Amino acid sequence: MSELTPAEVSAQAAAVGLSLDGDDLLEVTHRLNAFLAALAGLAALDLTAAEPWPTSPSDLR
Amino acid sequence: MSEELAFRSAADLARLIRDGKVSPVEVVETYLARIDRFDGTLRAYVTVCRERALEEARAAEVARSRGNRLGPLHGVPFAVKDQFDTVGIPTTSGSRLHARRVPAADSTVVARLREAGGILLGKLNLTEFALGGTLTYPAGQPRNPWDPSRETGGSSSGSGIAAAAALAAATLGEDTGGSVRSPAGWCGAVGLRPTWGLVPRTGCVPVAWSMDAPGPLTRTVEDAALLLGLIAGPDGRDPWLRTAPADPGADLERGARGLSVGVVRELVDGADTMPEVAAAVRDAAETLRELGAAVADVSLPLVPRAGAVFMALADSEAAAWHQPTLAARADEYDAGTRRRLIAAALLPTTLTQQAARARAAIRAEVLGALTRFDVLVAPTAHTPAPPIAGAQAPVTSGAEAARRFFTRRSYTTPASLAGVPAVSLPCGFTAGGLPIGLQLIGRRFDEATLLRAACAYERAAGWSGRRPPLEG
Repeated sequence: MSELTPAEVSAQAAAVGLSLDGDDLLEVTHRLNAFLAALAGLAALDLTAAEPWPTSPSDLR
Repeated sequence: MSEELAFRSAADLARLIRDGKVSPVEVVETYLARIDRFDGTLRAYVTVCRERALEEARAAEVARSRGNRLGPLHGVPFAVKDQFDTVGIPTTSGSRLHARRVPAADSTVVARLREAGGILLGKLNLTEFALGGTLTYPAGQPRNPWDPSRETGGSSSGSGIAAAAALAAATLGEDTGGSVRSPAGWCGAVGLRPTWGLVPRTGCVPVAWSMDAPGPLTRTVEDAALLLGLIAGPDGRDPWLRTAPADPGADLERGARGLSVGVVRELVDGADTMPEVAAAVRDAAETLRELGAAVADVSLPLVPRAGAVFMALADSEAAAWHQPTLAARADEYDAGTRRRLIAAALLPTTLTQQAARARAAIRAEVLGALTRFDVLVAPTAHTPAPPIAGAQAPVTSGAEAARRFFTRRSYTTPASLAGVPAVSLPCGFTAGGLPIGLQLIGRRFDEATLLRAACAYERAAGWSGRRPPLEG
């Protein structure tokens, strides 16, 4: 997955009504790229057997 | 003498007060004097309830002298993370946004400790909204009692400091992804994250509803069990509560003989774990073996991914809660908090869904291991407390963001993602004199066995008796 640029992140933020510039924009871009790299790796795992709801309320009763 | 009194456990203090050997007023005054002396540097407290605590201490002394029925925490001063509502006392959540927020009612956990006779000494510092990564703290930078140039861990920073430096008899924090265990580990205290669904969150400002768990930070495992016993169980308002076990400290005296202990290979021997930390945790496992536990390695291949998975999910939950405020008053957040929340708000839903699946798989791995072992062993963090300056430097790349924000969390978040209890307690010190945290992870709603193992280790190892070299 290619890395996002600050301009792309700024546009995404504007689309959901959030203002981003300066140091905030740079760090949010780095944080998002860290997420993209780390979570993209999950696609290679076989998660088909994963239970669909992580904490079953019925277990708590 | 006053230092000896201050470092007594909460359970000891309760016994001394009950037996009339020490006055609640003397105990409260002792802690207030220590706060005056040391907290200008350490910054554990956001608010000190000086007059109210002294007044309640005087009333507690009168009640004892009259032979009234006394609660299990009668006259014992405690302090809580400033994330828990306290009637008539500001509850800031470590944020300028909540600087003037004064709740009309106590949170359930505070009410329960007060009903048990405890005296609220004050409210404790934390990262903004308990999220971690705060750059500028409204109540001052929290500092590690073992080395004030070092981080305390968070988000229950003040709770870790106050427990380790004896600025209260015992404290409460809240653990979403390690916020109780991390400060316990780096400050040299005992920190217990209870099973999700055991302790009511009523009156606790939320971080991530599917993982938030209030829990004690103390100087002994016995105190952690004592406080948990007082705060656990349904309150009729938090809908996801299970009836509490009768006494989480019931098995503290049973020792480790007969327990099975799994050492999580990926976290102990992983490339990110500092050798000094790995060696201390391996030594702790060996101590448990010598105490009669059966110890073996266990592999949990997905846990190194837990930090990223946790942040994708918990931060998204947090971003949803903060969204209206973030849209209207973004500038009033600390820059670190704001950047973290906005990054989460922009995460593609395809990736958060992938993270949700990964969470389920990590949970299955942890629960599967706990069918073979009574407790799992891991470091609380991959390093001892790092310098404060490092956490405040700008993030310069995606790879660095991953190292700074995901790696450390991979050690504490497997228990959070699985909803199981975990405790951190000291298992040694680095050559430089910084505490190393041992993390024990247990089965859901089986805090008794978890604390049994922790207590056996604590008593055999003796690290919990060390005191930080405070200057003030």
